[in-house]
Amino acid sequence: MNTHNERDDHHRIKRKFFDFIAVLQDAGIQVSTVEVLDMFDALKYADFSDKTSFKQILSTTLVKDYTDIPVFEKCFLEFFEKRINEKGFDPDIFIQDTLANESLKEKFDISESDLEALENSIDRIIDEVLEDHGDLSPRDMMKLILENPVLSSSSGAIGNLIFNTRSKFAPHGGGQNEPDADGEDGDMEFLQSLIEQRIRRRLLEKNTGKKIFRRDEYLLTKPIYQITLAEVSEMRELIKRLGQKLKNRISLRKKRVKHGHIDIKKTLRKNLQYGGTPFRIFHKDRKIDRPQLVVLCDISSSVSQYSRFMLLLTYTLQSLFSKVRTFAFISNMVEITPLFMEMNPERALNSIFSDTDFTYGWGSNYGNSFNQFINEYSDALTGKTTVLVLGDARNNSNDPGLDSFIRMKEKSRNLFWLNPDRKHLWDWSDSIATLYMPYCKEMREVKNFHDLSDFIDKLFISSR
Amino acid sequence: MFNDIQHTIDLLESQKYICSREIATTIFLAMKMEKPVLIEGPAGVGKTDLGKCIASALNMDLIRLQCYEGLDEAKALYEWEYAKQLLYTQILKDKLSAVLESEQTLGAAVDKLAGEEDVFFSDRFLIPRPILKAITTPRPSVLLIDEIDKSDSEFEAFLLEVLSDFQVTIPEIGTITTDIKPFVLLTSNNAREMSDALKRRCLHLYIDFPEKELEEKIVSLKVPECGAYLIKEVVEAVHKIRKLPLKKEPSISETLDWAKAFALLGCEVLKKDVAIDTLNFLLKYEKDIELAKKHGKELFVQ
Repeated sequence: MNTHNERDDHHRIKRKFFDFIAVLQDAGIQVSTVEVLDMFDALKYADFSDKTSFKQILSTTLVKDYTDIPVFEKCFLEFFEKRINEKGFDPDIFIQDTLANESLKEKFDISESDLEALENSIDRIIDEVLEDHGDLSPRDMMKLILENPVLSSSSGAIGNLIFNTRSKFAPHGGGQNEPDADGEDGDMEFLQSLIEQRIRRRLLEKNTGKKIFRRDEYLLTKPIYQITLAEVSEMRELIKRLGQKLKNRISLRKKRVKHGHIDIKKTLRKNLQYGGTPFRIFHKDRKIDRPQLVVLCDISSSVSQYSRFMLLLTYTLQSLFSKVRTFAFISNMVEITPLFMEMNPERALNSIFSDTDFTYGWGSNYGNSFNQFINEYSDALTGKTTVLVLGDARNNSNDPGLDSFIRMKEKSRNLFWLNPDRKHLWDWSDSIATLYMPYCKEMREVKNFHDLSDFIDKLFISSR
Repeated sequence: MFNDIQHTIDLLESQKYICSREIATTIFLAMKMEKPVLIEGPAGVGKTDLGKCIASALNMDLIRLQCYEGLDEAKALYEWEYAKQLLYTQILKDKLSAVLESEQTLGAAVDKLAGEEDVFFSDRFLIPRPILKAITTPRPSVLLIDEIDKSDSEFEAFLLEVLSDFQVTIPEIGTITTDIKPFVLLTSNNAREMSDALKRRCLHLYIDFPEKELEEKIVSLKVPECGAYLIKEVVEAVHKIRKLPLKKEPSISETLDWAKAFALLGCEVLKKDVAIDTLNFLLKYEKDIELAKKHGKELFVQ
């Protein structure tokens, strides 16, 4: 191969890497320009036959958030692994993906730049089609490409080729091609198959990242009560990852507030070495109040799934709060904080939901539970406490215990109510949501995991 | 300098540091590209050791900066030694008055004194802190910024400047630059997330607990008296224990301690009762030990 071709190949490989970066971005990983440059810089030192280090080169330059590593692994598997054999990653495979076919070039005497222009416009059309109406079959898409005015107006060998291919492809395309069809038939089919191949590959690549992202999105926006048992375990991984992300973000936001009052003791002591002249002034650090959290979860069957995820999220984020106390109730209020101290959240949750301590009588009794909370656990409430109630307020026509609820509000800093019911269903049937609502700082509808994490995120802004 | 990835692995192994191909790749690249590396991962997987071993493998100076809350430029970069300056002025009081004696007016005296300022703001009274040391040292060095997540975000912003240009400006002296860029490693335990700006400037390396084979290799290198068979069993057990829902998973150094304990007790195979008695080498919380005891049957075969 001569040097000219090597450079072209190099260029093509480069484009493949850009495709991979697009896949990562589609999957929700942020990649900045500097990082892309770094990657290309690093690839200079790459030994493509070593799969492990090839992968590491990409990961170490592109992925800076370790919670994104699992997503990167998925993308890499989809994009590269299928094109990598035991000998490692072979860049030639990438070149075969493109239209850079020697025979095509020779047959039609197409220049390299023409070919690239063709590739580019095909890619662009595919992108446009994907944006407008996602689900066209590759064959339909090919039709679109061949009929595209941009391509038709190409001149020279390419223009001819496309013109011929188009008329061949469309059955009603007229008779121009028939007289001289003989030798070119094969060529046109060849071009057709190349374009179709390209479309398929392109679609596959385009979707790799989105598929991963969509799966996550799907789980996060799916109404929690519809989540199937099989999805629960998938959710758990996701909650862990997102919880970690949320935690990292919030702790970054919480900058330590300095410059409180002057620390006289420290200032005097440290300035003794300067003969008592206060060269350096020391301030007391003002401590940031981490919010204290009290979570009251209705765990009756109508909302138990929500409570599960809420509790899981709460304990993933535990270190953000100075103190977390959790309570569960159906008709009785029971503190479940110690359970979470003893075992990991998963097992704790299971033991809660299999416990029978919570029910005396029948169904949820918010009134009784609130009364009991005020009587037994009101020490949990201080001026720094934020109370979260999670439930649908279906009180089964019991006494609402409004007095106790108002006491809870008065004794705490904030009181939020998360209601899994749709807003227009509040007060429907035996729900008394709007009775409690005026005493909450906010009653909010939570349908899915997004709503839950959104709420927590905002909690840290508003509670300061 | 490392020649290639395999060379990196071999040289580090000569320092008794067994690293995976992933780690070696990142380190090798970072050296070639002259980029800092941000190393994250659970406690006790050898993040700090990696820095030390790179330094000794390449015969470079190791300059370490331990981060903590409230760490500021004065502790990281440089500081004027006020006390020494003060002491010198006190002692030289007579000399000073002699020098200034000839001047008639106060203004002239101040001007003359100002002319001598360089004496008091010179290297003599400068305490170089790790970062300045790394820049001024004539030898190639490894600058290990340990537990960067413990520092404040102001300090992080300050680091950005240093990491991008490797130059430091001291108003009284001038700008100090370097021809030999130090190799910078930052470690983090994820107490908080680093800013995007910092991450963009670094290569990222996540070190997790090692695979079984790798950990066996590490143990056999550090505790050779343990014997291949026992090492295999110990590592196997540790890996099983790490899968339990623990408060704190045992790190590599704890695996080593445990293996040493068996060697000292003269064990040749991993016996269940001995293992349970020595669990406190491995696990640092009472609850974790109890949990491991409960699962004793599955964890230890004999």
